[in-house]
Amino acid sequence: MLRRTSLTAAALLAAGALLLTACTGGGDTAPTETGEPDPSAQLTVGLVLEPTNLDIRHTSGAALEQILIDNIYQGLVTRTEDNEIEPALASEYEISTDGLTYTFTLNPDITFHSGDALSVDDVVTSYTEVKDDESLIGHGDFAGVASIAADGDSTVVITLTEPNQNFLFALTGPAGLVFKAGDETDLKTGANGTGPFLLANWIQGDSIELTRNDAYWADPAGVAGVVLQYIPDFTAGVNAALDGSLDVLTAVDPNLAPQLDGESGFTLTTGKTTDKGTLAFNNAKAPLDDVRVREALRLAINHDELVAAIGAGQPMYGPIPELDPGYEDLSDVVGYDPDRARELLDEAGVDDLDLTLTIPSFYGTTVAQVLVSDFNEVGVTLEVNQVEFATWLQDVYTNKDYDLSFVLHVEPRDFGNFANPDYYFQYDNTEVQELYAEALATVDADESAALLAEAARIVSEDHAADWLYNGATLTAVGTGVAGFPVDSINSRLDLSGVTVAE
Amino acid sequence: MIRDTLARLALLLVGLIVASVLIFLTLRVLPGDVAQLIAGTDGTPAQVAAIRERLGLDEPLPAQYLDWIGGVLRGDFGTSLLTGTPVMDELLQKAAVTVPLGVMAMVVALLIAFPFGVLSAMARGRASGTALNVGAQALAAVPVVWAGMMLIVVFAVWLGWLPAQGFPRSGWDDPAAAVRALLLPALTIGIVEGAMLLRFVRSATLQAVGEDFVRTAAAKGLTRNAALVRHGLPTVGLSVITVLGLQVAGIVVGAVVIEQLFTLPGIGRMLVTDVGARDLPKVQGELLALTGFVLIVGFVVDLVHRVLDPRQREAT
Repeated sequence: MLRRTSLTAAALLAAGALLLTACTGGGDTAPTETGEPDPSAQLTVGLVLEPTNLDIRHTSGAALEQILIDNIYQGLVTRTEDNEIEPALASEYEISTDGLTYTFTLNPDITFHSGDALSVDDVVTSYTEVKDDESLIGHGDFAGVASIAADGDSTVVITLTEPNQNFLFALTGPAGLVFKAGDETDLKTGANGTGPFLLANWIQGDSIELTRNDAYWADPAGVAGVVLQYIPDFTAGVNAALDGSLDVLTAVDPNLAPQLDGESGFTLTTGKTTDKGTLAFNNAKAPLDDVRVREALRLAINHDELVAAIGAGQPMYGPIPELDPGYEDLSDVVGYDPDRARELLDEAGVDDLDLTLTIPSFYGTTVAQVLVSDFNEVGVTLEVNQVEFATWLQDVYTNKDYDLSFVLHVEPRDFGNFANPDYYFQYDNTEVQELYAEALATVDADESAALLAEAARIVSEDHAADWLYNGATLTAVGTGVAGFPVDSINSRLDLSGVTVAE
Repeated sequence: MIRDTLARLALLLVGLIVASVLIFLTLRVLPGDVAQLIAGTDGTPAQVAAIRERLGLDEPLPAQYLDWIGGVLRGDFGTSLLTGTPVMDELLQKAAVTVPLGVMAMVVALLIAFPFGVLSAMARGRASGTALNVGAQALAAVPVVWAGMMLIVVFAVWLGWLPAQGFPRSGWDDPAAAVRALLLPALTIGIVEGAMLLRFVRSATLQAVGEDFVRTAAAKGLTRNAALVRHGLPTVGLSVITVLGLQVAGIVVGAVVIEQLFTLPGIGRMLVTDVGARDLPKVQGELLALTGFVLIVGFVVDLVHRVLDPRQREAT
């Protein structure tokens, strides 16, 4: 078994190395257009993860946010590919020096897809609903909101009970979206937003079709329509790109990427993400409640080799990724040292350690294979338990019944999970909790980031989890397509600036 | 004959009821629920409980079952928890892909199995017959997924003749495009199913050769092959009908796999997605419809068999 897995790992490693070489030529920007953009062009984009329904107010999920926010629905503010906050429906915003009052000025002449004009009341109603209705996604983000009120015809004022560094960022998510007050649209299948695209058609299990909103209040979209084609199988996605059915393929499997370079008419871009490939330790369960055991497990993992096997991304040594405030290179905390790992396990008195890794089945086998082989080296036997995501949610997330778990945590700015002892990591450190609370309540952004960095270092030194890698997202962009977003596209895919040349 | 048919009909109904209970109960054994999935990893326990209540998932199981089956008897298959659309509407929409796919696969399977099966039987003992038989055995053992991938590589990626995945968004408004989209998936299922059927046709033919009436015909001066074609093949056809009824289940299973591989928006793919999403009312409706379909096909085949085969008619 050991022999076979290390062989597989070696093969994956070779493929990954090939890919990394292949990628360097591609650069990090979308290719420039070759001809004049054609405003009547149709763009077909292949994606992996399909939303289960379109009701972004009641259903959580990155797939939903990725497509609907910015394209169909908009909030007062939005975020760029680098996670910088910028105004959207609001032309400008002001935060009082005490960090408690947020004043937003609305852009003029904004209409919903239904043709109705957007008013400050729509904003106040939408936000009040989030604050009051527990079943709405983002309700928790509004916990510290004291009041939401209109001031005149174009100003909305939100006051908080205490300063919250994350509040404005939360407004870039589902909590901050503005809906028409009293709208009757069935949000599960229809949409009435203010964005540059209209929802034209949704064939469940197949595709979502968007058309340009010609009455859009800002610069209209560069293409007449977009078909978002959902292809869950990575190989099928590459085949679809090769047979000419797609203009762009997102979330390309790194190990299949070489097929989509150059000659095939595609250019690969590598985008940054806030995806944290998190190997969760059940901090409350023996023997993982012993910090020596957790450190040993981290020391046993060859992160560079793992990243190479996955084929994209970079090693990560702490809970905060580069795109989030508070990032710091923590590679000094832990390295690859199997000998030290064995010593630590001896010190902790755990011989012949048997652990189970619970992993949702859609992540494939690469991560598990590398971990099995790395842990084997230090005398830890890892049993891999592949489960459906629904099962993972129940067993691991809700019941916290697991040893080790692997999940890609994609949300930006989610460090708070390590300051929440009830979260499934069950990591409980009052110092971290205090630092995090302080970071949230600090009005100055740089000061707040410094506090987050301090807390993140403690979390990493406590080995509360292992961050196997910070994911990168590969996109294959076809000839003639320009302006396709590169970074953070698995949580936001703003298509308004994309053009297709003839 | 009529009494027998009625008895069989009653058996069909009992089968459907048992199936409905089994479907309902086995789905309840699955860990994880749709409320948790809707709330996601940011959802609080209170939020999950609120969603569960809104969806009626906190009702006792017998009440949920009776509610569901009562609806089914009135022709209402319920509503999807996730999309809010009636299950029946979605089933019909997806059936427009899966049923033609199944029919095409069946035609392909028959076109392979019948001629080559008979040929292989008639050439028994010769090299060509052995080759056919061995070839069929090998093909029948091929996993459907692998066969599909090979066909994609050859016909879609290398030759570029047929699309590798997807179904036209306009559906059957453009029949040519729809048929083109289904051709490779139908070939995939059809070839594998056809190879299995071929071996059956072969043995049925061999059996027919040994039948008294074929031997009699041959004794009366017909060549062995002529006697077989004129008198033997009708009985082969008859037995193949029975096996075809069984093959329907195989094709349904094949469709689940193949629709994933070719990204076809059919019942099979919907089923996989809905089980993953724990949209149980929808999965129940889908499974019951599929089970019902297979059971009814079996019933009809049985009936047809009885009507066509004089020996069975006499026996009852």
